[in-house]
Amino acid sequence: MSETFVIVGAGVAGGGAAAALREEGFDGRVVLIGAEQQPPYERPPLSKEYLRGESSFERALFQPPDFYDENGVETRFGVRATRVDAAEKVVELDGGERVAYDRLLVATGGRNRRFRIPGMDLEGIYSLRTVADSDRIRAEISPGRRAVVVGMGFIGSEVAASLRQSGVDVVVVDRNEVPLRRVLGEEVGRVIEGIHRDHGTSMIFEDTVAAFEGVGRVERATTARGRRIECDFVVVGLGVEPVTDLLADTGAEIDNGVVVDEYLRTGVEGIYAAGDVANHYHPVFGRRIRVEHWQNALKQGPVAARNMLDKDKPYDEVPWFWSDQYEHNLQYAGFHTEWDELVVRGSIEERNFVAFYRKERRVLAAVALNRGRDLRRSMPLIKAREPIDAARLCDLDVDLRALASVAGTLTSAARSSSKTA
Amino acid sequence: MVGRADDLEEGGMRAFDVQGTRIAVAHVNGAFHAFDDTCTHMGCSLAEGDLEETTVICPCHGSEFDVRSGAVLQGPAREPVDSYETRVESDNLEIKS
Repeated sequence: MSETFVIVGAGVAGGGAAAALREEGFDGRVVLIGAEQQPPYERPPLSKEYLRGESSFERALFQPPDFYDENGVETRFGVRATRVDAAEKVVELDGGERVAYDRLLVATGGRNRRFRIPGMDLEGIYSLRTVADSDRIRAEISPGRRAVVVGMGFIGSEVAASLRQSGVDVVVVDRNEVPLRRVLGEEVGRVIEGIHRDHGTSMIFEDTVAAFEGVGRVERATTARGRRIECDFVVVGLGVEPVTDLLADTGAEIDNGVVVDEYLRTGVEGIYAAGDVANHYHPVFGRRIRVEHWQNALKQGPVAARNMLDKDKPYDEVPWFWSDQYEHNLQYAGFHTEWDELVVRGSIEERNFVAFYRKERRVLAAVALNRGRDLRRSMPLIKAREPIDAARLCDLDVDLRALASVAGTLTSAARSSSKTA
Repeated sequence: MVGRADDLEEGGMRAFDVQGTRIAVAHVNGAFHAFDDTCTHMGCSLAEGDLEETTVICPCHGSEFDVRSGAVLQGPAREPVDSYETRVESDNLEIKS
């Protein structure tokens, strides 16, 4: 009897998984369920070129519109999956439909973290996750209007940049000392701050929004330190939380997302997770990580699909993302939470560098500003996890690929010698 | 003619101005492959990226193209880059545009 594989979550991870199931020759039923009205689309443009009105939604579609029909993928778009019954192997949908599955992929992604700020229900206050959110913000944009952006993580920073590029006056409020401090640290955050300052973005740090005020519609934000910022609209970028509710009754472990092993399997037979929602064991870093970026969704969906077909393929891609702000291209690869040394290759002043986050002389991660080629060349080095000379990392005459291959050789040599020992 | 074939070593890549268009040339396995230098995704210079065999990787967002055909091998780019015929005449590299 033909099997049914159900994918909940029609983003890049879910859409990619559906495609991969067919590419692998799976000839059973594939059902792709998504809470949004649209077929899978890419989110990176929503805070950048799409928000600025420079590119169309069609361009962001993950697959051509006829892809799902042509590949026999049944779709339920605009329908939320509310609950998984793991004993009955059924997914329950809003509206009452029950879809039986043999294997299930949860790729539900994230939703904007809920925040409680007095006045948050006033009109003109937005957060950004979906194309509908981006459309609402886009409708507010016109030169000379005044926006408050709350939070200067990646979404806040990109939105602030896009608004400035569109002629909007922008005031950012962030609780830290510099933008992106949590991920990139103070030194690199200062560089990003300088870029925003040069483009006329006003930034208020070490302060938080206490309330939004206005009659019906937001007119100003007030801060904990007593500032009053008059504005026409607000964009809040305070991060996302994984959407795991539907698995609550299944016994699948939920801890900062859906906990899966390196094969993207939950502890419940037949249930897998991929994308932003998956807190996956990563063999390179030797721990669980959850990644909220496009490449992770793009690469992880198909790996999950293959493992649903018992291909036993571990997921070990080095996390990578970009963040374009104004004319600058920022990229990050690897994973780090703490580091003991930041090694800079290139020039911070000229905004052309790669900075390596090192711990005990090993490169855990790297961030590049306008130096993408070097960042890509750092990836094998991050994967190798070998001690590397800071002097060689900084030496612009040294090709990072050469360092990486040395590190890689050492690693494999070390492995084989430990085997023989 | 855009340059001397000798100036582009095996495994190398370089962009040239050809009648107002930036065209990249990659030298792979003895052959010269010419294609639009401007990535169809966000307009970065592909010649500033990396060449791995016959794949060029955009330095900004990681899109991958086949240097022989211009076809997209990996997004985020969707549209291929135009590719052009090349010819080497007594060490002169020529691009037919």
